[in-house]
Amino acid sequence: MKKTHVVILVLVAAAVAVIVSMFGDFSTYETFTSASKEPGKQYHVIGFLEKDKAMDYDPVKDPNHFTFYVKDKSGKVSKVIFNGAKPTDIEKSEQIVMTGYVQGDAFHCSKIQMKCPSKYKKDQVAVGNAG
Amino acid sequence: MDTNFVGENLGPGKLGHFFVILFFVAALFSAFSYFRAAKTEADAQRSVAWLRLARNGFVIHAAAIFGMFLTLYYIIANHLFEYHYAWEHSSRALPMKYLLSCFWEGQQGSFMLWAFWHSVLGLVVMKTSKGLESRVMSVIALVQVAIATMLLGFYFGPDVKVGSTPFMLLRHAMANAPIFQQANYMSFIKDGNGLNPLLQNYWMVIHPPVLFLGFASTLIPFAYTIAALWKGEYQTWIRDTRIWALFAGAVLGTGIMMGGAWAYESLTFGGYWAWDPVENASLVPWLTLIAGLHTLIIYKATKRSLPITLILLSLTYLLVWYSTFLTRTGVLGDTSVHAFTGEGKSLYWHLIVVILVLLVLVLGLLFYRWKTLPRVKGEEESSSREFWMFIGSFVLLLSSLQITISTSIPVWAPLAKWITGKEIAPPVDPVQHYNSIQVWVAIIIALLSSAILYLRFKASDGKKVWRRFAGLGSVAFLLTALIGYTQKINVPQYTVLLFASVFAVVASFYYALGIQKKLMKMGPAVSHLGFGLTLLGILLSSFNKEVISFNTLGVTIDFGKKTAAENAKESRENVLLFRNTPVAMGDYLVTYEGDSTSSSDPRTFYKVNYEKKDSATGRVEEQFTLYPDAFVNPKGQQGLIANPASKHYLGKDIFTYVTQVLDPTKRTDTAAYKSYTVKKGDSIFLANGFVVFNDFEEPRYEQQTGNLSVKARLTVYDLTKEVGHLSPVYAIENNSYQSFQEDTLKSMGLYARFVKVLPDQNAVELQIRQTNPKDDYIVLKAILFPYINVLWLGIVVMVIGFFLSMYNRITKKEKLPQVLANN
Repeated sequence: MKKTHVVILVLVAAAVAVIVSMFGDFSTYETFTSASKEPGKQYHVIGFLEKDKAMDYDPVKDPNHFTFYVKDKSGKVSKVIFNGAKPTDIEKSEQIVMTGYVQGDAFHCSKIQMKCPSKYKKDQVAVGNAG
Repeated sequence: MDTNFVGENLGPGKLGHFFVILFFVAALFSAFSYFRAAKTEADAQRSVAWLRLARNGFVIHAAAIFGMFLTLYYIIANHLFEYHYAWEHSSRALPMKYLLSCFWEGQQGSFMLWAFWHSVLGLVVMKTSKGLESRVMSVIALVQVAIATMLLGFYFGPDVKVGSTPFMLLRHAMANAPIFQQANYMSFIKDGNGLNPLLQNYWMVIHPPVLFLGFASTLIPFAYTIAALWKGEYQTWIRDTRIWALFAGAVLGTGIMMGGAWAYESLTFGGYWAWDPVENASLVPWLTLIAGLHTLIIYKATKRSLPITLILLSLTYLLVWYSTFLTRTGVLGDTSVHAFTGEGKSLYWHLIVVILVLLVLVLGLLFYRWKTLPRVKGEEESSSREFWMFIGSFVLLLSSLQITISTSIPVWAPLAKWITGKEIAPPVDPVQHYNSIQVWVAIIIALLSSAILYLRFKASDGKKVWRRFAGLGSVAFLLTALIGYTQKINVPQYTVLLFASVFAVVASFYYALGIQKKLMKMGPAVSHLGFGLTLLGILLSSFNKEVISFNTLGVTIDFGKKTAAENAKESRENVLLFRNTPVAMGDYLVTYEGDSTSSSDPRTFYKVNYEKKDSATGRVEEQFTLYPDAFVNPKGQQGLIANPASKHYLGKDIFTYVTQVLDPTKRTDTAAYKSYTVKKGDSIFLANGFVVFNDFEEPRYEQQTGNLSVKARLTVYDLTKEVGHLSPVYAIENNSYQSFQEDTLKSMGLYARFVKVLPDQNAVELQIRQTNPKDDYIVLKAILFPYINVLWLGIVVMVIGFFLSMYNRITKKEKLPQVLANN
C-alpha cells in the first residue's frame, strides 16, 4: 500500500471517530415535561409566548432577569427565566426556541431565538392618507 | 384585469420583464452556440461561426443583466411602490447610499447580483481562455441560464411557479388584498416598508457585492475543470484555473471576513465569528477551494493528485449552490440568527434541481473519464512538498465535511428522527462545539502551511530542512512561552495552537525575507504568513475576550467545558447605567451622559463616557466617549435595534452596545421646579454641581417703552469644572404681560427659568429644575477584545499574498506549447 493511502486511511478513521463522537454533542428538541426528567441538563425547547400571562422585566431591579410564560408544543405552560435583557419584539414572536434547563418549576434559559417572519416586513399594506 | 388602475408607472416594469426574458433567451442561445462550437471543433470554419454567434449571445445576455439592474435601480430610486420589490425593501426616508443595499435584502436582487458578477467574469474569460473558450463558456452560459430561470416568475398552472421576478407589481403579489379592488389604490400607498435597520450600515453596502463576487469567481475554476474533463486534456487548463482559483480565494476570503467585520461592527453577536450556519455556509466552499488550489499546484509540479483536484474544484462550486440552498430556502429555520426569509417551496425545489443538474454533470464526466485520467506510478517521497501539501488539502476537506455535517442538522434531522425517533437539535453551545474540533485542524494546517515552504517538490534535503526547523522552532517556542505567559493561555490545545500559529508566522516571515527575497515570488509565503497571523489574532482576541460589563471579572466564554449553571451566570452580562451615575466596569469608570437624536438620522445616540484612573494618584490615564446607537421603536415595533460602538486601540478594542433603554414614550419626569432668589455672584447648589448667577445681559435689539426683555447669564459647574452656560430670558410687554424663555443644559439634565426681577432687593428670582437621574437609564453591554487587530492584519496580509501569486502567474510566461498570455 502506498504511503498516501495509509495516511488517508488514518485521517479518515480519525475523522469518522470525531464525527461519531460529535453526535453526543448535538442537543435535542424536547418539551418542558421531557426536559424536566433530567433537571440541569440543557435542551432546546420550542414554544409559543403566553401573551395573557405577565412578562416581568425591570432593569432597575436587575438588568439580567426577564421572566415570561411559554406554552410548549405539547400544550404545557411553564414559567421561563432568562438571564439577560428582554429581547426586542418578543411580544410579536410567533415561535420561540429556547436553550436551557429545567430547575424547580421554571425553565432557565441562556439563549432565546424568536421566529418573527413579519419582523421587519409586514406583508400587509398600511393604508393611510397621511403623507 | 378589467379595472383601469390610476397612478401606476408600468413602463419600467415592462422594460424589466423584457430584460429578464432577454437575459434568459440570450444565455440559452449563447450556451447552445458555445456547445455547438465545441462539438464542431474539427471543422474550423463552422466552429468559428458558432463561436461568433455564441459571443454575441453572451454580450447581449450581459447587457440584459445590466439593463435589469438599472431598471430595478430606477424603480427603487424613484420610489415606485406599485412594484412589490421597491415597496418591500425600500422607503422614502432611506438615504441614497443604502439604495443599493435594497438589492441584496431581497432574494431576486441577490440572484441578479450573482448573475451580474458571473457575466462580468464571463466576459473576461471570453477574452482570455483561448483554446478552451467554447467549453468553459458553455458551462458559464449554462449556469447563467439556471440563474435566469430563478428570475423568470412563470406560472405553469396555479401551483407550479418557476422563479420570481423582481418586477412584480404589488397588486399581483398580494392579489387578494381588498385595497387592490380600488382603481386609485396608489393614492393610499405613500411609503414602502423600508430596509431592515440591520442592513443600514456601510458594511452592508460593500460586504454583499464582495462576497457575491467571491461566490461568482468560484464558477471559473469549476468551468475550467468541466472543460478539461470534457476535452479529456489536462494541460492547457492549469494556468488559468490556478489564476482564477487564486482570485476566488482572495475575494471570497475578503468577503467572508467583511461579513465578520460587519457582525463585529454592527451586530450585537459580541464578536466577528459565531459559527452561525450562514457564516459556515460561506466558509466551507473557501476551505475546499484552498484545498483544490493546493492540489492543483501539486499536479502542476509533479503530475500527481489530478483526480482529487478535479473533485475539489467541482465540489467548491457545488457547495456554493448548497450554501445558497441552506441560506435562501429557510431550511435552516430555527438554527440561524440571520436566516433569510424563505421564498417557499418553489425556490426549494428549484435549487435542488439546479444542484442535481450540476452534480450529474460533474459525476457523469468524472465517471466517464476516470479510467483515462493521467496518473503517475510510484510513491511520493515523505520528504517531498507534494506529500505534505496533499495531506494538508485532505485535512481541509475533512474539516469542511465536519462543518457541513453540523451545519446541515436541520437538513438531515428528519431522517435521523425517522431512524432514532429523536429530534436532533444543534449543539447547545455551537461555538464550543466547532472550536473543540476545528482547533486541531487549525494546528495541523498552521504547521503544514509554513513547513512546506521549506520542502521541495519530489525530494528535499532532509538535513538542511531539519536544521532550519530546529532554529525556527526554538524561536517560535520562546515567543510562545512569552505570549502564553503574559496572555495567560493555559488550556493545553490552545497552547499548542499558539505554538503552531507563532511557528507559522515566524517560518513564513523568515522564508519570505531570508530565503526568497524576490517580492514577485513571495505570494505563497505572504499568504501563509497572513494565515498564521489570522489564527494568532483569533486565538488572542477570543481566548481573552472579556465581558467587562459583567461586574466580577470576565471568564473566558468560548473555551472549556461548563455546566449549565455556569453558563447562566455568564449570561449576566448587562449592566444598568443611570444617567450621570458612574459605574465601575473592568478598569473603567463608565458614565452614561444622555442621549441625542437628529432630524436627519433615524437613530438615537447614547453618550457613554469611559474613564480609567490611576488607582494610586487618581490621575486620569485614559478617557474616551463612545456613541453606541439604536433604532428606538422603529416602524411599528416596540423596542430597539442596537448598533455597537467600539474604541479601537492598537492592542485592544472596547466594544459597547445598548441592550435596553427606557422607552422614550414612557419616560416620566418626576422633578419639579424650585424657586431661588439670587443676587449677582450667588450660587445655587445642585445634586452634582452648582449654578452661578453672573450677570444680566440686555438683548441686542432696541427696547420699546413699556417693553422689557432681559437675559440672565448663568454658569454651570459640576463637581470639578465648568460645564456650560444657561441664558433664560424674562420679558414684559406693554408693562403687563410677563413671559419667559426657558433654557436647558442637557448634559446636566438642567432646566432654568427667569421669572421675576426684584429691583428693591437688587435680585432676581430663578426657577431651576434638575431631572432625576433615575428617570433616564440605559442597559449596556461592554466587551474587551485584545489584539483583534492582529486578526484584521492577518486577513489583509493573506489577501495581498493571493494577489501577489496571481500577478506572478499572470505575468510569467509558461513553458507550454500554447501560450495563454493576453494578447
